[in-house]
This record gives sequence, structure tokens and C-alpha cells, in this order.
Amino acid sequence: MADKCPDYAKELNDYLDGTFDPSLCHEIEAHVGHCQNCRIMIDTLRQTVKLCQEGKEVPLPPSLESKLNNLLQVRWEKKFGHQ
Amino acid sequence: MELIDAHKAKIFALARRLAGNEQDAEDIVQESLLKAIDNIDTFRGEASFGTWLFSIALNESRGHLARQKRHGLRSIEEYLPSQDSSAVDSSASQRLLEWDDPHSKLETEELQRFIDQGLSDLPYIYREAFVLRYVEDLSVKEVAGMIGESEAATKSRILRARLALREYLARRFEVHHGR
Repeated sequence: MADKCPDYAKELNDYLDGTFDPSLCHEIEAHVGHCQNCRIMIDTLRQTVKLCQEGKEVPLPPSLESKLNNLLQVRWEKKFGHQ
Repeated sequence: MELIDAHKAKIFALARRLAGNEQDAEDIVQESLLKAIDNIDTFRGEASFGTWLFSIALNESRGHLARQKRHGLRSIEEYLPSQDSSAVDSSASQRLLEWDDPHSKLETEELQRFIDQGLSDLPYIYREAFVLRYVEDLSVKEVAGMIGESEAATKSRILRARLALREYLARRFEVHHGR
């Protein structure tokens, strides 16, 4: 945000996440409507989260799953006995 | 045992995001699930079983990564835009215009690599807050409870992580496009 832009840095997440006071939202939107720098800042902050959320989840590797199954079974039986 | 079994993949995914690599994530998920069995008598049901397991995994991640001294070595300030806002804005305006549709310019795998690297480069306390809030989709209040910070401090961490990641991705996109 440039020097002349309102300082709403602390509220940016609330604004972007839609949990911000609606009257202040209008204030930000009015500013963003004619300030390209702030518009890009807000768009790219939104995009940052979107990209991270779209990221594919790394699946549990089969070799680890097999190792975990054995380890957990042994620990469970040690604690609770055979079931 | 079925409950623990059902959460294995989810805990691994969380650990993978927090650790930034598969080897550490494997250690964390293994230790977390064994600890869950050892302490299952202490699960009282105030939170969901998944939340309880998440808390164990978070503690394990912190402990594991602290032992390896891989986090907390650099300040978040190193990742954030400079305080000279006018200079930041003019360059950011140019390079971030590329963000309209990164999928059209980058292979999915490459984009994923940028995101993984950006997350794992963040100092741990910021990465943790960001991942819990936006990847695991917990509320600020829930994240604050899990990391043991006030909501205000949690919000600040989440925002700083978001700004730092944005900066990181902008730099990577800029390099990618040969600017």
C-alpha cells in the first residue's frame, strides 16, 4: 500500500476472510476501486490462500502405512493386550 | 484403534505441511500416533478425537523441528515486503499482474513445488498458524487454542505468514517469467 493509502494492514485478513465490520468493508472497497496497488495486494493475498488450499494432499506412502500398522498394533497390544 | 487408524492419512498430511519434507513427516506421524495410544486414557471427549490428535501432532512437530533447529533461525521480517511502501508497490504492481491465472503459465507440479517451498521456508510459528487456519480450515479461535496464543497474536501470525508467502510466490513467478 502506498503512503497515501489507508492503513488497514492489521484488518486485512478479517476483510479477506469476510469477518470484517461491513461498514469498514465498504470503506476499503471504495478505496480499492480506484487504487490499483491496493487492488493487486488484496487480489494476490486472496490468491495466495487459494493456491495453498488447492495444493494436492500428499497421500500416506504405502510403505509408511504398512510400517505404521505394525507399530500401532504392537503398541496397542502392549497397552491393552490381544483383542 | 479404529479411530487412530482412520486419522493416519490426515495426520501425515498435516505433518508433511508442517515439516516441509516427507522424512520428518514420517517421524512426526509415527511418534504422534504412538503417543496417542499411550495417552488415549486422557482423551475426555471435550474436543473431537481429530482435534485431540492434531494437538498431539502439533506438539510432536514443534519438538521434532526444534531438535533439528530448523525453525526460528530467521525472522519473519526477512520474508516480508520492505517498509518502503512506495518502492514495494511499484515493483509489486508489475510482477503480481502475472498472478491472474498461474495455472495457465505453470505446470501443476511446478506450482505445487513453489507452494511447498514457500510454506517450508516460513519460520515455524508462522507456518503452523497459516496451515491450521487455511489448509486445515480451522477458525482463528481454534488455531489460537491449539497453539496456545491469544486470538490477536494468532491473527497477526496468520497475516504475516500470508504476506510473506505472497512475497515469496511473487518472487518465484518473477524468476519463472525471466524478469
